[in-house]
Amino acid sequence: MDDDLPTDFQVIVVGTGMVESIVAAACSRIGKNVLHLDSSDHYGGLWASYNFDGLQKFIKEVNSDPKRQLQVYNLSEKWYIEKDSPQEKQEDDENKTEDSKSEPSKKVWSQASFATEYRKFNIDMTPKLLFSRGPLVELLISSNIARYAEFRCVTRVLTWLNDKLMPVPCSRADVFATEAVSIVEKRMLMKMLTSIVGYNEEEMNNEFKDWNDKTFKEYLEHKGLTPNLIHYVLFAIAGGTNKMPCLEGVKECKKFLMSLGRYGNTPFLWPMYGSGELPQCFCRLCAVFGGVYCLNRPIDKVATKTVDEGKTVVTIDSKSKTLNCDHLVIGINECPKEMISPEPAESCDISKAVFITNGSIMKSEKEPLTLLRFPPLTDEDNTVTVLEVGPATGSCPKGLFVVYFITKKVKTAESDLKPYAERIFDMSGGDQLEASEKPKCLWSLFYNVRDTSAPVSGAADSVHVCCGPDAGLDFDRAVEQAEQIFKKICPGEEFLPRAPDPEEIVFEDEVPRGPEFRGDDADAEPQQ
Amino acid sequence: MEDYKFLFKVVLVGNAGVGKTCLVRRFTQGLFPPGQGATIGVDFMIKTVEVDGEKVKLQIWDTAGQERFRSITQSYYRSAHALILVYDISCQPTFDCLPDWLREIEEYANNKVLRILVGNKTDREDREIPRHIGEDFAQRHGMYFLETSAKEAENVERLFMEIAVELMEQAKCKELPKYDGSLGPINGKTTSVGDSSCCLRS
Repeated sequence: MDDDLPTDFQVIVVGTGMVESIVAAACSRIGKNVLHLDSSDHYGGLWASYNFDGLQKFIKEVNSDPKRQLQVYNLSEKWYIEKDSPQEKQEDDENKTEDSKSEPSKKVWSQASFATEYRKFNIDMTPKLLFSRGPLVELLISSNIARYAEFRCVTRVLTWLNDKLMPVPCSRADVFATEAVSIVEKRMLMKMLTSIVGYNEEEMNNEFKDWNDKTFKEYLEHKGLTPNLIHYVLFAIAGGTNKMPCLEGVKECKKFLMSLGRYGNTPFLWPMYGSGELPQCFCRLCAVFGGVYCLNRPIDKVATKTVDEGKTVVTIDSKSKTLNCDHLVIGINECPKEMISPEPAESCDISKAVFITNGSIMKSEKEPLTLLRFPPLTDEDNTVTVLEVGPATGSCPKGLFVVYFITKKVKTAESDLKPYAERIFDMSGGDQLEASEKPKCLWSLFYNVRDTSAPVSGAADSVHVCCGPDAGLDFDRAVEQAEQIFKKICPGEEFLPRAPDPEEIVFEDEVPRGPEFRGDDADAEPQQ
Repeated sequence: MEDYKFLFKVVLVGNAGVGKTCLVRRFTQGLFPPGQGATIGVDFMIKTVEVDGEKVKLQIWDTAGQERFRSITQSYYRSAHALILVYDISCQPTFDCLPDWLREIEEYANNKVLRILVGNKTDREDREIPRHIGEDFAQRHGMYFLETSAKEAENVERLFMEIAVELMEQAKCKELPKYDGSLGPINGKTTSVGDSSCCLRS
């Protein structure tokens, strides 16, 4: 079948990561003839999500292939549960008969029961959230690609304060409902947040012109905020550290506040079945507009040659076939070294961890979907971002939670993140049924990822190298880079114009949502 | 809100050239598209049918050509209520690939999804797969079975009507795979099954 693969295209895209997939969709959408390849048998590259079986394969692959370790290294997988659980069979039978009567008692998980339910896991290599009014949500809606995906609202934002987990008041109602903050503090906080939302770009630069070389923390102190409030605003809302520059902090705060009130109670959305679904949505659009798809298709060699009239053609050798195109778009993980110019500078790598637990880090009535921002525990550390997703997101079987940790690398993923994990999980490997305050950690994976998110240029004008995932919370940089690459390939063309609807638009009852962010002043209405 | 009580997502899979797009277009538009060619621009098609006096909307998704090199996205299978696996009765290789398709379905589709095996092109005189072979295969894998001709409009209406009837029955017994509680589509459009506890992508 592979031999049927046509050889001449206007655009060939290699790698199905986020940036590559957006560019593929955008080119195909305006009528370019696109071929999209990936060397592996699944979509997503470094942005993929895996079921439990796929994840085991991934770990094995990385451990046995030194080439893969250029991207992913220091992999350390650990089980905290037995291989087989002897009582389990019995219990299963009991559950079957009692099913209708009562809730089955809490399950004792074993490695074998993970294997049985492997399909129910969708574990992300690059878990990320979407800001409700961020560039990716706007793009999904304006391009009509939103119809390929479903989302869940992040239900709460937590922080670590005075050695315990604390909910962060997000909306105005939250602020006034919280008991952690006094009335005077509430007014102070609302006043500051309201003014931040009200600034336009110019006013912002003007207001903060004397703060260029100062930190956001200094600004918050200057505004008279109490230490608790500074903690909420700096670490939880702005996601910063003590060193965060003032203007950056203000901008991050504004982004957070502006995304409130569109969908849920927090500014964030999480894709059903994981972040790895999103590149596939763009691939689907590309295919609908005629893009040709071929997974399991590694490339051997990339070269450029000049044909008549000085036109450059990129040639790609793949499985004893030569493919030709005017433009090659290639993910950094698939790109031969000699096509990258110059070599990207040393950058700060990323430390990541995934945990599977038997309960939420903080109990709640309904299944929570949580963003936790850990302030650095030591001066050396950076902020640690934690995302906890449950069965309702399609990430894991009932009774479990998947928890992602992300930070900038200092030493190794394990030493960077374990101290944080121990604060919120019971990692003793003890009895799963034993009542305890913290959820039991059943399985963990630590790994480092090379930071390939810095923009790099191809060795030739017609070779476009797509950056890898960054350590940031959202997809904004990927969207931005994809648009830049598209504009280079198709100057003057519209970026992902709306795809036509096969049906009339159907409106249904609105999704319940929290209030928009509103300050005390009536004239401080947020922009729509 | 539009006038229908149930909305079901039906997805088609099977080798390239077995007539998936023709089945969809015969059913939704009542025509048989002349000429071969990849499926460009077709995302999904909609047809509202009536079952027991109730309006049922079928959203029928095509592969967009990604089956050609066995590169269908996992997300294509998500949230499907019914899955039609198609082969060409006049082309043995399309039948031989069915186990590969089943593996993929097992991996990515909900295990409660309604599965139908369809042998298409009964109008062809060069049949290679006897009807009973297809029937056997379907039975062994717990699938419904039907032979169709998109060209002659044979059994096409029946195929989709039976799916609608079966899904509606399941929906009434609440046996349907539930994709409930999610926010669903973010563009304000939302489609629902029955009591609106189910949100599907539109």
